[in-house]
Amino acid sequence: MDMHARLQDYTQSSLDRVIPNESELTCGSLIVPGRSYGFFTDTTVCIGCKACEVACKEWNNLPADNIGLTGQSYDNTGALSANTWRHVNFIEKTGDVGPGGLGSGFEAEGRGGGCGGGCGGSGGKNSSGEGGVRDNNQQAFQSGWLMMSDVCKHCHNPPCMEACPTGALFKTEFDTVVVQQDICNGCGYCVPACPFGVVDVSLIDGKVHKCTLCYDRLKGGLEPACAKACPTDSIMFGEVDDLVARARARVAKLHELGVESAYLYGAPDEPGATGGLEYLNAFFLLTDRPEIYNLPVAPTRASRRVLPGLLSGFAAIAGLAAAAALLLGASSAPARAAR
Amino acid sequence: MPTMTGMVTIVQETRFQLTDERGVSHLFLLGHHSMAEPDQLVPLQHAQARVRVRYIQPRNIIGMVAKSIEVDD
Repeated sequence: MDMHARLQDYTQSSLDRVIPNESELTCGSLIVPGRSYGFFTDTTVCIGCKACEVACKEWNNLPADNIGLTGQSYDNTGALSANTWRHVNFIEKTGDVGPGGLGSGFEAEGRGGGCGGGCGGSGGKNSSGEGGVRDNNQQAFQSGWLMMSDVCKHCHNPPCMEACPTGALFKTEFDTVVVQQDICNGCGYCVPACPFGVVDVSLIDGKVHKCTLCYDRLKGGLEPACAKACPTDSIMFGEVDDLVARARARVAKLHELGVESAYLYGAPDEPGATGGLEYLNAFFLLTDRPEIYNLPVAPTRASRRVLPGLLSGFAAIAGLAAAAALLLGASSAPARAAR
Repeated sequence: MPTMTGMVTIVQETRFQLTDERGVSHLFLLGHHSMAEPDQLVPLQHAQARVRVRYIQPRNIIGMVAKSIEVDD
């Protein structure tokens, strides 16, 4: 097993000091201001353990909320919010299993659709094709489940930052997007500007809260809490360029293994990196359509919709004015003729 | 309104952890109309000062909303 050379320096089980540049040991990435950092989330190895959710809440001192059961599969978090900066999606696929995989139908938090391909499996049928005691319409070996740990995407061109009138949202020296709590006035303009529905205003303190990509940990040379806690390395932290290269290699490997449906979402020149966003610092490897994972197919920057919206508004006003002038002109013409 | 006395041991944005005399830690969120700013929490943590917090228990959240924080003499 390959071990980092620096691990030889820390052989004792308890330490009397913080390990400098610990991220080099835990994720193989040295954290240096001025470089671009992010997450690569490989959903094919996510087991839905929610360790990332817990680690995030623990480190950031976030309260548990939405107490109770949502009734949506194993998902009792519901959605990303001011108090929940990591959310594990549970997408439960059901439907008839054919030669091409799941033909149609699945249940994913109340949404409907089908499998994009590469979902082959035998379901619960035995080799002769007859149903047994475990006959069902689920994929074999739990492949009827899709799990994905969702998070703020830390967009390269963040629409939330563009919408913020006070400058509370800013880009850090690590190329991540963070809210300055002392400057945020809780106007909420960033909330509809975010194409992913990540940003949320807390009703308790009236300020916006979202994932900081563990800004305080990065400054201390530590890997973000969620990535460090992930037991399967579904969440990988590092420099964006390194992560993109690693992600492309993983997609190629999955294609080689027969999972043709694997693709990247949010990486440069890939789906999700649309509408002027260029790319997402937190990008994903998916095996089904983006909307299945509650992600927009083609996210856009809100600022790009301002001019078309304004022009269409002016066009509508001009059209109505022209119609009114025509109608009024037509109705007043007989009166003038009568006079 | 209930009060709690202890030391501010962790501060994250507008959230802080108060450790009481028994060593039990409690999670507080700074309320919208509280008489304190997030920037004032960090010096309290660094000073390990004893503070008295007046709070309310909100619905649907495991944590308490601080309404005022006073340094306990």
